[in-house]
Amino acid sequence: MRELRKLRKLELPDTVPLSPILDLWDQQEPSGPDATGIYDFYRNLADGELTTTECKGCGKLLFPPVIICPYCNGNDMEWVRIPEEGELYAFTELKLGAPIIVENYAPFVIAIARFGNYPENGVQLSGMMFDVRYEDLKIGDKVKWDILEIVGPGDKARYWYYFKKV
Amino acid sequence: MRRVAIVGAGITKFGVREASWKDLVQEAGKAVFDDIPNLDKKDIDSLFVGAAQPERWVFQTHVAPLVAELLGINVTRAIARTEVACASGQAAIRYAWLSIATGLSDVALVLGVEKMNTKFMNVSQSSMINVGNREFDGANGFTAPPFFALAAQRHMHDYGTTKEQLAMVRVKNAEYGSYNPYAQFQKKVTVEKVLESRMVAPPLTLFDCSAITDGAAALILASEEKARQLTDTPVWILGGVQHVDAAHTTNQMGDLSEWVALRKAAKDLYSMVGIEAKDIDIAEVHDCFTISEIIEYEELGFCRKGEGGKFIEEGESYIGGKVAVNPGGGLLSNGHPLGATGIRQAWEVVMQFRGEVPKERYVDGAEIAIAHNLSGMAQLHHLMAYSVNKPQDVKFGR
Repeated sequence: MRELRKLRKLELPDTVPLSPILDLWDQQEPSGPDATGIYDFYRNLADGELTTTECKGCGKLLFPPVIICPYCNGNDMEWVRIPEEGELYAFTELKLGAPIIVENYAPFVIAIARFGNYPENGVQLSGMMFDVRYEDLKIGDKVKWDILEIVGPGDKARYWYYFKKV
Repeated sequence: MRRVAIVGAGITKFGVREASWKDLVQEAGKAVFDDIPNLDKKDIDSLFVGAAQPERWVFQTHVAPLVAELLGINVTRAIARTEVACASGQAAIRYAWLSIATGLSDVALVLGVEKMNTKFMNVSQSSMINVGNREFDGANGFTAPPFFALAAQRHMHDYGTTKEQLAMVRVKNAEYGSYNPYAQFQKKVTVEKVLESRMVAPPLTLFDCSAITDGAAALILASEEKARQLTDTPVWILGGVQHVDAAHTTNQMGDLSEWVALRKAAKDLYSMVGIEAKDIDIAEVHDCFTISEIIEYEELGFCRKGEGGKFIEEGESYIGGKVAVNPGGGLLSNGHPLGATGIRQAWEVVMQFRGEVPKERYVDGAEIAIAHNLSGMAQLHHLMAYSVNKPQDVKFGR
Protein backbone atom coordinates (compact mmCIF):
# COMPACT_ATOMS: atom_id res chain seq x y z
CA MET A 1 0.00 0.00 0.00
CA ARG A 2 2.78 2.39 0.94
CA GLU A 3 4.35 1.95 -2.46
CA LEU A 4 1.12 2.81 -4.21
CA ARG A 5 0.26 6.06 -2.50
CA LYS A 6 1.95 8.75 -0.49
CA LEU A 7 0.91 8.56 3.13
CA ARG A 8 0.42 11.55 5.37
CA LYS A 9 3.22 11.76 7.96
CA LEU A 10 2.98 12.71 11.64
CA GLU A 11 6.46 13.84 12.52
CA LEU A 12 7.62 13.49 16.13
CA PRO A 13 10.73 14.84 17.85
CA ASP A 14 13.78 12.56 17.76
CA THR A 15 14.38 12.88 21.47
CA VAL A 16 12.51 14.12 24.51
CA PRO A 17 14.15 15.48 27.69
CA LEU A 18 14.84 13.15 30.61
CA SER A 19 11.42 12.43 31.99
CA PRO A 20 10.86 14.27 35.31
CA ILE A 21 9.57 11.01 36.79
CA LEU A 22 13.11 9.67 36.63
CA ASP A 23 14.69 12.70 38.30
CA LEU A 24 14.82 12.05 42.02
CA TRP A 25 15.48 15.63 43.14
CA ASP A 26 12.79 17.68 41.45
CA GLN A 27 10.66 18.92 44.34
CA GLN A 28 12.61 22.02 45.23
CA GLU A 29 10.77 25.19 44.27
CA PRO A 30 9.79 28.14 46.48
CA SER A 31 6.83 29.13 44.31
CA GLY A 32 4.88 28.19 41.21
CA PRO A 33 3.23 24.89 40.37
CA ASP A 34 6.12 22.85 41.85
CA ALA A 35 6.15 24.79 45.11
CA THR A 36 6.62 22.96 48.38
CA GLY A 37 5.66 24.19 51.84
CA ILE A 38 8.93 22.76 53.14
CA TYR A 39 11.08 24.79 50.78
CA ASP A 40 13.17 25.91 53.75
CA PHE A 41 14.54 22.36 53.90
CA TYR A 42 16.07 22.88 50.45
CA ARG A 43 17.10 26.49 51.13
CA ASN A 44 18.89 25.33 54.27
CA LEU A 45 20.67 22.59 52.30
CA ALA A 46 21.88 25.29 49.90
CA ASP A 47 23.17 27.15 52.97
CA GLY A 48 25.04 24.03 54.10
CA GLU A 49 22.63 22.84 56.78
CA LEU A 50 20.63 19.63 57.05
CA THR A 51 17.52 20.58 58.98
CA THR A 52 14.04 19.42 59.78
CA THR A 53 10.90 20.63 61.50
CA GLU A 54 10.13 20.44 65.19
CA CYS A 55 6.54 20.98 66.26
CA LYS A 56 6.28 23.93 68.63
CA GLY A 57 2.95 22.58 69.87
CA CYS A 58 3.97 19.13 71.09
CA GLY A 59 7.74 19.37 70.81
CA LYS A 60 8.01 16.36 68.50
CA LEU A 61 11.02 16.24 66.20
CA LEU A 62 9.69 15.36 62.75
CA PHE A 63 11.45 13.91 59.75
CA PRO A 64 10.72 14.30 56.91
CA PRO A 65 9.88 17.95 57.54
CA VAL A 66 6.17 18.75 57.24
CA ILE A 67 3.91 21.79 57.40
CA ILE A 68 1.43 20.24 59.86
CA CYS A 69 2.31 17.94 62.79
CA PRO A 70 0.90 14.42 62.26
CA TYR A 71 0.81 13.98 66.07
CA CYS A 72 -1.00 17.11 67.32
CA ASN A 73 -2.14 18.80 64.08
CA GLY A 74 -0.23 21.94 65.10
CA ASN A 75 1.05 24.08 62.24
CA ASP A 76 3.65 26.12 64.08
CA MET A 77 7.00 24.66 63.11
CA GLU A 78 10.54 25.48 64.04
CA TRP A 79 13.44 24.58 61.74
CA VAL A 80 16.14 22.77 63.68
CA ARG A 81 19.56 21.50 62.65
CA ILE A 82 20.04 17.72 62.61
CA PRO A 83 23.08 16.78 64.75
CA GLU A 84 26.04 16.40 62.41
CA GLU A 85 27.42 13.16 63.78
CA GLY A 86 25.47 9.92 63.86
CA GLU A 87 25.91 6.18 64.00
CA LEU A 88 25.51 3.59 61.25
CA TYR A 89 22.47 1.43 61.94
CA ALA A 90 22.62 -0.68 58.76
CA PHE A 91 24.14 -0.49 55.29
CA THR A 92 24.44 -2.26 51.97
CA GLU A 93 25.95 -1.58 48.57
CA LEU A 94 23.68 -1.29 45.55
CA LYS A 95 25.37 -3.35 42.86
CA LEU A 96 22.47 -4.20 40.54
CA GLY A 97 19.29 -2.31 39.67
CA ALA A 98 20.32 1.24 40.59
CA PRO A 99 17.82 3.93 39.56
CA ILE A 100 18.59 5.16 36.06
CA ILE A 101 19.59 8.68 37.12
CA VAL A 102 22.40 7.45 39.40
CA GLU A 103 23.32 4.32 37.41
CA ASN A 104 26.75 5.78 36.68
CA TYR A 105 27.55 5.85 40.42
CA ALA A 106 26.71 2.18 41.09
CA PRO A 107 27.92 0.36 43.01
CA PHE A 108 27.46 2.78 45.92
CA VAL A 109 26.73 2.29 49.60
CA ILE A 110 23.22 2.97 50.90
CA ALA A 111 22.93 3.27 54.65
CA ILE A 112 20.62 4.10 57.50
CA ALA A 113 22.14 6.15 60.27
CA ARG A 114 20.75 7.45 63.55
CA PHE A 115 21.37 11.04 64.62
CA GLY A 116 20.66 12.33 68.12
CA ASN A 117 18.84 10.20 70.66
CA TYR A 118 16.65 8.06 68.38
CA PRO A 119 13.76 7.41 68.65
CA GLU A 120 13.00 9.71 71.64
CA ASN A 121 14.68 12.81 70.33
CA GLY A 122 16.58 12.00 67.18
CA VAL A 123 16.12 10.90 63.59
CA GLN A 124 16.85 7.81 61.53
CA LEU A 125 17.86 8.79 57.99
CA SER A 126 18.70 6.95 54.82
CA GLY A 127 21.67 8.26 52.86
CA MET A 128 24.19 7.47 50.15
CA MET A 129 27.89 7.00 50.85
CA PHE A 130 30.66 7.43 48.26
CA ASP A 131 34.34 6.49 48.12
CA VAL A 132 33.79 3.70 50.60
CA ARG A 133 33.11 -0.02 50.09
CA TYR A 134 30.70 -2.28 51.94
CA GLU A 135 33.66 -4.24 53.31
CA ASP A 136 35.10 -1.11 54.95
CA LEU A 137 32.07 -0.46 57.15
CA LYS A 138 30.54 -1.96 60.24
CA ILE A 139 27.36 -1.40 62.25
CA GLY A 140 27.97 1.30 64.83
CA ASP A 141 30.55 3.23 62.79
CA LYS A 142 30.43 6.99 63.30
CA VAL A 143 29.26 8.95 60.26
CA LYS A 144 28.65 12.61 59.47
CA TRP A 145 26.18 14.15 57.08
CA ASP A 146 27.51 16.57 54.50
CA ILE A 147 26.00 18.52 51.61
CA LEU A 148 25.86 17.05 48.12
CA GLU A 149 25.61 19.30 45.10
CA ILE A 150 23.40 17.88 42.35
CA VAL A 151 24.81 18.89 38.96
CA GLY A 152 22.38 18.80 36.01
CA PRO A 153 20.22 18.07 34.19
CA GLY A 154 19.73 21.76 33.37
CA ASP A 155 21.34 24.77 35.02
CA LYS A 156 19.49 24.98 38.31
CA ALA A 157 21.73 24.49 41.35
CA ARG A 158 20.29 21.80 43.61
CA TYR A 159 21.49 20.35 46.90
CA TRP A 160 21.01 17.14 48.84
CA TYR A 161 22.93 15.38 51.62
CA TYR A 162 25.05 12.25 51.97
CA PHE A 163 26.91 10.41 54.71
CA LYS A 164 30.65 10.10 55.15
CA LYS A 165 32.60 7.95 57.53
CA VAL A 166 34.23 9.88 60.36
CA MET B 1 -22.54 -10.44 57.43
CA ARG B 2 -22.90 -12.96 54.61
CA ARG B 3 -20.47 -15.81 54.06
CA VAL B 4 -18.28 -15.41 50.97
CA ALA B 5 -16.49 -18.10 48.98
CA ILE B 6 -13.98 -18.28 46.17
CA VAL B 7 -15.69 -20.36 43.49
CA GLY B 8 -13.30 -20.02 40.58
CA ALA B 9 -9.57 -19.39 40.08
CA GLY B 10 -7.35 -18.95 37.05
CA ILE B 11 -3.79 -17.91 36.36
CA THR B 12 -1.44 -17.10 33.49
CA LYS B 13 2.11 -18.31 33.07
CA PHE B 14 4.32 -15.94 35.09
CA GLY B 15 7.64 -14.78 33.68
CA VAL B 16 9.17 -12.56 31.04
CA ARG B 17 6.19 -12.81 28.74
CA GLU B 18 5.85 -11.91 25.08
CA ALA B 19 2.42 -10.59 25.90
CA SER B 20 0.94 -7.15 26.44
CA TRP B 21 -0.79 -6.01 29.62
CA LYS B 22 -4.13 -6.50 27.84
CA ASP B 23 -3.12 -9.98 26.64
CA LEU B 24 -2.37 -10.95 30.25
CA VAL B 25 -5.77 -9.65 31.39
CA GLN B 26 -7.55 -11.71 28.73
CA GLU B 27 -5.51 -14.84 29.48
CA ALA B 28 -6.31 -14.67 33.20
CA GLY B 29 -9.97 -13.94 32.42
CA LYS B 30 -10.24 -16.96 30.13
CA ALA B 31 -8.46 -19.12 32.71
CA VAL B 32 -10.96 -18.25 35.44
CA PHE B 33 -14.02 -18.56 33.17
CA ASP B 34 -12.76 -21.97 31.98
CA ASP B 35 -12.38 -22.96 35.64
CA ILE B 36 -16.07 -22.35 36.32
CA PRO B 37 -17.91 -23.13 33.09
CA ASN B 38 -21.43 -22.90 34.53
CA LEU B 39 -20.95 -19.26 35.50
CA ASP B 40 -22.89 -16.84 33.30
CA LYS B 41 -20.89 -13.63 32.88
CA LYS B 42 -24.19 -11.76 33.33
CA ASP B 43 -24.19 -12.88 36.97
CA ILE B 44 -20.99 -10.96 37.68
CA ASP B 45 -22.09 -7.66 39.18
CA SER B 46 -18.77 -6.33 40.50
CA LEU B 47 -15.14 -6.08 39.44
CA PHE B 48 -12.02 -5.35 41.46
CA VAL B 49 -8.66 -5.05 39.72
CA GLY B 50 -5.33 -5.17 41.56
CA ALA B 51 -2.72 -3.21 39.64
CA ALA B 52 0.25 -1.36 41.14
CA GLN B 53 1.83 0.82 38.47
CA PRO B 54 0.15 0.44 35.07
CA GLU B 55 0.58 4.20 34.60
CA ARG B 56 4.34 3.84 34.58
CA TRP B 57 4.89 0.42 33.03
CA VAL B 58 2.27 0.43 30.26
CA PHE B 59 1.16 4.09 30.38
CA GLN B 60 -2.46 3.16 31.03
CA THR B 61 -4.72 4.45 33.77
CA HIS B 62 -8.44 3.90 34.53
CA VAL B 63 -7.68 0.21 34.20
CA ALA B 64 -10.68 -1.45 35.87
CA PRO B 65 -13.16 -0.35 33.16
CA LEU B 66 -10.66 -1.51 30.54
CA VAL B 67 -10.61 -4.96 32.16
CA ALA B 68 -14.43 -4.97 32.13
CA GLU B 69 -14.38 -4.31 28.38
CA LEU B 70 -11.68 -6.89 27.65
CA LEU B 71 -13.58 -9.59 29.54
CA GLY B 72 -17.11 -8.61 28.49
CA ILE B 73 -18.41 -7.75 31.94
CA ASN B 74 -21.15 -5.25 32.67
CA VAL B 75 -20.73 -4.00 36.23
CA THR B 76 -23.92 -3.03 38.05
CA ARG B 77 -22.77 -2.84 41.67
CA ALA B 78 -19.13 -1.99 42.33
CA ILE B 79 -15.92 -1.45 40.39
CA ALA B 80 -12.47 -0.25 41.47
CA ARG B 81 -8.80 -0.68 40.87
CA THR B 82 -6.84 -1.22 44.08
CA GLU B 83 -3.30 0.03 44.65
CA VAL B 84 -1.15 -0.67 47.65
CA ALA B 85 2.03 -1.44 45.70
CA CYS B 86 3.07 -5.09 46.15
CA ALA B 87 -0.16 -5.94 47.97
CA SER B 88 -2.54 -4.48 45.38
CA GLY B 89 -3.77 -8.00 44.60
CA GLN B 90 -4.90 -8.99 48.05
CA ALA B 91 -6.56 -5.58 48.44
CA ALA B 92 -8.74 -6.40 45.42
CA ILE B 93 -9.82 -9.67 47.09
CA ARG B 94 -10.55 -7.82 50.31
CA TYR B 95 -12.90 -5.28 48.71
CA ALA B 96 -14.72 -7.97 46.72
CA TRP B 97 -15.16 -9.95 49.94
CA LEU B 98 -16.47 -6.89 51.80
CA SER B 99 -18.79 -5.93 48.97
CA ILE B 100 -20.35 -9.41 48.92
CA ALA B 101 -20.34 -9.87 52.72
CA THR B 102 -22.26 -6.66 53.22
CA GLY B 103 -24.82 -7.57 50.58
CA LEU B 104 -24.00 -4.98 47.94
CA SER B 105 -22.59 -7.51 45.46
CA ASP B 106 -23.43 -11.15 44.79
CA VAL B 107 -20.72 -12.28 42.38
CA ALA B 108 -17.44 -10.44 41.84
CA LEU B 109 -14.53 -10.94 39.51
CA VAL B 110 -11.17 -10.18 41.08
CA LEU B 111 -8.23 -9.82 38.75
CA GLY B 112 -4.63 -8.88 39.47
CA VAL B 113 -2.19 -8.01 36.72
CA GLU B 114 1.19 -6.42 36.18
CA LYS B 115 3.33 -6.05 33.09
CA MET B 116 6.80 -5.18 34.40
CA ASN B 117 9.14 -6.31 31.63
CA THR B 118 9.03 -3.66 28.95
CA LYS B 119 11.44 -2.26 26.42
CA PHE B 120 12.17 0.49 28.95
CA MET B 121 13.65 -1.80 31.61
CA ASN B 122 15.67 0.91 33.33
CA VAL B 123 12.47 2.92 33.66
CA SER B 124 10.73 -0.14 35.10
CA GLN B 125 13.52 -0.60 37.65
CA SER B 126 13.48 3.07 38.54
CA SER B 127 9.72 2.95 39.04
CA MET B 128 10.17 0.86 42.17
CA ILE B 129 11.83 3.83 43.84
CA ASN B 130 8.54 5.67 44.32
CA VAL B 131 7.07 2.86 46.43
CA GLY B 132 9.00 4.30 49.35
CA ASN B 133 8.95 8.01 50.15
CA ARG B 134 10.40 9.13 46.82
CA GLU B 135 11.52 12.57 47.98
CA PHE B 136 13.37 11.41 51.10
CA ASP B 137 14.30 7.72 50.66
CA GLY B 138 13.97 7.29 46.90
CA ALA B 139 16.48 10.07 46.38
CA ASN B 140 19.02 7.93 48.26
CA GLY B 141 18.57 4.99 45.88
CA PHE B 142 16.30 3.19 48.30
CA THR B 143 14.55 0.59 46.11
CA ALA B 144 13.36 -2.74 47.49
CA PRO B 145 16.62 -4.79 47.30
CA PRO B 146 18.69 -2.39 49.44
CA PHE B 147 15.92 -2.02 51.99
CA PHE B 148 15.52 -5.76 52.45
CA ALA B 149 19.31 -6.13 52.44
CA LEU B 150 19.39 -3.82 55.46
CA ALA B 151 16.64 -5.87 57.14
CA ALA B 152 18.74 -8.99 56.48
CA GLN B 153 21.91 -7.38 57.81
CA ARG B 154 20.11 -6.32 60.99
CA HIS B 155 18.47 -9.73 61.48
CA MET B 156 21.87 -11.39 61.12
CA HIS B 157 23.35 -8.86 63.56
CA ASP B 158 20.53 -8.99 66.11
CA TYR B 159 19.70 -12.72 66.04
CA GLY B 160 22.66 -14.50 64.44
CA THR B 161 20.78 -15.52 61.29
CA THR B 162 23.19 -16.74 58.59
CA LYS B 163 23.44 -16.29 54.82
CA GLU B 164 23.10 -20.07 54.53
CA GLN B 165 19.76 -19.92 56.35
CA LEU B 166 18.60 -17.19 53.96
CA ALA B 167 19.64 -19.42 51.05
CA MET B 168 17.67 -22.35 52.51
CA VAL B 169 14.45 -20.39 51.99
CA ARG B 170 15.24 -20.16 48.27
CA VAL B 171 16.14 -23.85 48.15
CA LYS B 172 12.75 -24.82 49.62
CA ASN B 173 10.75 -22.47 47.42
CA ALA B 174 12.71 -23.46 44.32
CA GLU B 175 11.96 -27.10 45.03
CA TYR B 176 8.20 -26.44 45.19
CA GLY B 177 8.44 -24.06 42.24
CA SER B 178 9.92 -26.89 40.19
CA TYR B 179 6.51 -28.58 40.40
CA ASN B 180 4.60 -25.43 39.43
CA PRO B 181 4.22 -25.11 35.65
CA TYR B 182 3.05 -21.48 35.98
CA ALA B 183 6.15 -20.32 37.90
CA GLN B 184 8.77 -18.05 36.37
CA PHE B 185 11.58 -20.24 37.73
CA GLN B 186 11.15 -24.01 37.75
CA LYS B 187 14.67 -25.19 38.53
CA LYS B 188 15.78 -26.54 41.87
CA VAL B 189 18.80 -24.81 43.44
CA THR B 190 21.33 -25.59 46.15
CA VAL B 191 22.52 -23.42 49.03
CA GLU B 192 25.91 -23.08 47.27
CA LYS B 193 24.25 -21.89 44.07
CA VAL B 194 22.31 -19.21 45.95
CA LEU B 195 25.44 -18.01 47.76
CA GLU B 196 27.46 -17.94 44.53
CA SER B 197 24.91 -16.07 42.44
CA ARG B 198 25.56 -12.40 41.58
CA MET B 199 25.52 -9.97 44.47
CA VAL B 200 22.62 -7.52 44.24
CA ALA B 201 22.96 -5.73 47.58
CA PRO B 202 24.97 -7.56 50.24
CA PRO B 203 24.07 -9.80 51.98
CA LEU B 204 21.42 -10.48 49.31
CA THR B 205 22.39 -12.25 46.09
CA LEU B 206 20.29 -12.51 42.95
CA PHE B 207 18.75 -15.77 44.19
CA ASP B 208 17.75 -14.12 47.48
CA CYS B 209 15.48 -11.80 45.45
CA SER B 210 12.19 -12.31 43.64
CA ALA B 211 12.10 -11.17 40.04
CA ILE B 212 10.62 -8.53 37.77
CA THR B 213 7.70 -10.46 36.32
CA ASP B 214 4.75 -10.28 33.95
CA GLY B 215 1.62 -12.15 34.96
CA ALA B 216 -2.03 -12.11 35.92
CA ALA B 217 -4.40 -14.15 38.04
CA ALA B 218 -8.13 -14.04 38.63
CA LEU B 219 -10.78 -15.27 41.05
CA ILE B 220 -14.56 -15.39 41.17
CA LEU B 221 -16.01 -14.62 44.61
CA ALA B 222 -19.63 -15.34 45.39
CA SER B 223 -22.17 -15.10 48.20
CA GLU B 224 -23.05 -18.38 49.94
CA GLU B 225 -26.27 -18.69 47.98
CA LYS B 226 -24.58 -18.13 44.61
CA ALA B 227 -21.60 -20.29 45.58
CA ARG B 228 -23.90 -23.25 46.24
CA GLN B 229 -25.28 -22.92 42.70
CA LEU B 230 -21.87 -22.58 41.10
CA THR B 231 -19.54 -25.13 42.69
CA ASP B 232 -19.17 -28.15 44.97
CA THR B 233 -15.72 -27.05 46.10
CA PRO B 234 -15.97 -23.52 47.49
CA VAL B 235 -13.05 -22.03 49.39
CA TRP B 236 -14.45 -19.98 52.25
CA ILE B 237 -13.05 -16.65 53.30
CA LEU B 238 -12.78 -16.67 57.10
CA GLY B 239 -11.58 -13.11 57.49
CA GLY B 240 -8.88 -10.61 56.76
CA VAL B 241 -7.07 -7.62 58.22
CA GLN B 242 -4.56 -5.00 57.24
CA HIS B 243 -2.21 -3.30 59.66
CA VAL B 244 -0.34 -0.22 58.63
CA ASP B 245 1.53 1.78 61.25
CA ALA B 246 2.14 5.46 60.60
CA ALA B 247 5.50 4.54 59.08
CA HIS B 248 6.42 5.04 55.46
CA THR B 249 9.77 6.82 55.65
CA THR B 250 12.99 5.46 57.19
CA ASN B 251 12.68 7.66 60.29
CA GLN B 252 9.39 6.03 61.22
CA MET B 253 10.52 2.42 60.64
CA GLY B 254 12.26 1.79 63.95
CA ASP B 255 14.06 -1.55 64.08
CA LEU B 256 14.26 -3.21 60.67
CA SER B 257 14.50 -6.78 61.99
CA GLU B 258 11.16 -6.49 63.74
CA TRP B 259 7.96 -6.20 61.77
CA VAL B 260 5.70 -5.07 64.57
CA ALA B 261 2.73 -4.33 62.30
CA LEU B 262 2.78 -7.94 61.05
CA ARG B 263 2.90 -9.29 64.60
CA LYS B 264 -0.15 -7.18 65.46
CA ALA B 265 -1.94 -8.08 62.22
CA ALA B 266 -1.46 -11.81 62.85
CA LYS B 267 -2.77 -11.55 66.39
CA ASP B 268 -5.75 -9.59 65.14
CA LEU B 269 -6.51 -12.04 62.31
CA TYR B 270 -6.24 -15.13 64.51
CA SER B 271 -8.58 -13.56 67.03
CA MET B 272 -11.04 -12.49 64.30
CA VAL B 273 -11.38 -15.96 62.81
CA GLY B 274 -10.79 -17.98 65.98
CA ILE B 275 -7.58 -19.80 65.11
CA GLU B 276 -4.06 -20.04 66.48
CA ALA B 277 -0.82 -20.15 64.53
CA LYS B 278 -0.57 -23.89 65.14
CA ASP B 279 -3.92 -24.49 63.39
CA ILE B 280 -2.60 -23.21 60.06
CA ASP B 281 -1.87 -25.92 57.48
CA ILE B 282 -0.73 -23.72 54.59
CA ALA B 283 0.84 -20.26 54.75
CA GLU B 284 1.25 -18.38 51.50
CA VAL B 285 3.63 -15.65 52.66
CA HIS B 286 5.27 -12.72 50.93
CA ASP B 287 8.82 -13.96 50.26
CA CYS B 288 9.82 -11.03 48.06
CA PHE B 289 13.29 -11.72 49.50
CA THR B 290 14.54 -14.73 51.46
CA ILE B 291 14.88 -12.61 54.62
CA SER B 292 11.19 -11.69 54.40
CA GLU B 293 10.06 -15.28 54.83
CA ILE B 294 12.35 -15.74 57.85
CA ILE B 295 10.98 -12.65 59.61
CA GLU B 296 7.43 -13.71 58.67
CA TYR B 297 7.82 -17.13 60.38
CA GLU B 298 8.54 -15.19 63.56
CA GLU B 299 5.93 -12.46 63.34
CA LEU B 300 3.17 -14.87 62.23
CA GLY B 301 3.89 -16.87 65.38
CA PHE B 302 5.23 -20.06 63.77
CA CYS B 303 8.36 -19.80 65.91
CA ARG B 304 9.84 -17.49 68.54
CA LYS B 305 11.26 -14.08 67.61
CA GLY B 306 14.77 -14.49 66.27
CA GLU B 307 14.42 -18.19 65.50
CA GLY B 308 13.25 -17.91 61.90
CA GLY B 309 16.63 -19.02 60.57
CA LYS B 310 16.55 -22.11 62.73
CA PHE B 311 12.95 -22.77 61.62
CA ILE B 312 13.94 -23.18 57.96
CA GLU B 313 17.17 -24.96 58.83
CA GLU B 314 15.19 -27.59 60.73
CA GLY B 315 12.78 -28.00 57.84
CA GLU B 316 9.74 -26.83 59.80
CA SER B 317 8.36 -24.79 56.89
CA TYR B 318 8.43 -27.70 54.44
CA ILE B 319 5.35 -29.78 53.69
CA GLY B 320 5.25 -32.22 56.60
CA GLY B 321 6.85 -29.69 58.98
CA LYS B 322 5.00 -27.47 61.45
CA VAL B 323 3.38 -25.48 58.64
CA ALA B 324 3.71 -25.73 54.85
CA VAL B 325 5.01 -22.33 53.82
CA ASN B 326 4.75 -21.39 50.15
CA PRO B 327 4.08 -24.86 48.72
CA GLY B 328 3.54 -23.20 45.32
CA GLY B 329 7.09 -21.81 45.28
CA GLY B 330 6.29 -18.36 46.64
CA LEU B 331 7.33 -15.11 45.04
CA LEU B 332 10.89 -16.38 44.76
CA SER B 333 9.87 -19.06 42.22
CA ASN B 334 6.72 -17.55 40.74
CA GLY B 335 8.14 -14.08 40.28
CA HIS B 336 6.37 -10.99 41.59
CA PRO B 337 4.04 -9.18 39.19
CA LEU B 338 2.95 -6.73 41.89
CA GLY B 339 -0.80 -6.57 41.29
CA ALA B 340 -1.09 -10.31 40.56
CA THR B 341 0.84 -11.73 43.52
CA GLY B 342 -1.93 -11.51 46.12
CA ILE B 343 -4.35 -13.20 43.72
CA ARG B 344 -1.78 -15.87 42.85
CA GLN B 345 -1.49 -16.68 46.57
CA ALA B 346 -5.27 -17.23 46.78
CA TRP B 347 -5.17 -19.27 43.55
CA GLU B 348 -2.57 -21.55 45.17
CA VAL B 349 -4.80 -22.02 48.23
CA VAL B 350 -7.78 -22.91 46.01
CA MET B 351 -5.76 -25.43 43.99
CA GLN B 352 -4.32 -26.95 47.18
CA PHE B 353 -7.74 -27.34 48.83
CA ARG B 354 -9.12 -28.94 45.68
CA GLY B 355 -6.09 -31.24 45.37
CA GLU B 356 -5.37 -29.92 41.88
CA VAL B 357 -1.60 -29.52 42.28
CA PRO B 358 1.20 -32.01 41.55
CA LYS B 359 1.62 -34.48 44.41
CA GLU B 360 5.18 -33.26 45.13
CA ARG B 361 3.79 -29.98 46.42
CA TYR B 362 0.40 -31.13 47.66
CA VAL B 363 -0.45 -30.47 51.31
CA ASP B 364 -2.70 -33.43 51.99
CA GLY B 365 -5.64 -32.82 54.30
CA ALA B 366 -5.12 -29.06 54.61
CA GLU B 367 -8.15 -27.23 55.98
CA ILE B 368 -6.92 -23.79 57.03
CA ALA B 369 -4.68 -21.47 55.05
CA ILE B 370 -3.52 -17.91 55.45
CA ALA B 371 -2.13 -15.56 52.85
CA HIS B 372 0.22 -12.74 53.71
CA ASN B 373 0.89 -9.95 51.25
CA LEU B 374 3.17 -7.08 52.28
CA SER B 375 3.84 -3.76 50.67
CA GLY B 376 6.32 -0.95 50.77
CA MET B 377 9.39 -1.39 52.91
CA ALA B 378 7.57 -4.01 55.01
CA GLN B 379 5.56 -1.53 57.07
CA LEU B 380 2.23 -2.60 55.55
CA HIS B 381 0.89 -6.08 56.19
CA HIS B 382 -2.17 -7.63 54.64
CA LEU B 383 -3.59 -10.98 55.81
CA MET B 384 -6.47 -13.22 54.75
CA ALA B 385 -7.60 -16.58 56.13
CA TYR B 386 -9.27 -19.29 54.05
CA SER B 387 -10.83 -22.66 54.85
CA VAL B 388 -12.38 -25.67 53.15
CA ASN B 389 -14.96 -25.61 55.93
CA LYS B 390 -17.82 -23.16 55.97
CA PRO B 391 -17.39 -20.74 58.88
CA GLN B 392 -19.98 -20.94 61.67
CA ASP B 393 -20.62 -17.26 61.42
CA VAL B 394 -19.00 -14.21 59.91
CA LYS B 395 -17.96 -11.47 62.29
CA PHE B 396 -15.52 -8.68 61.82
CA GLY B 397 -15.19 -8.66 65.63
CA ARG B 398 -12.98 -6.65 67.92
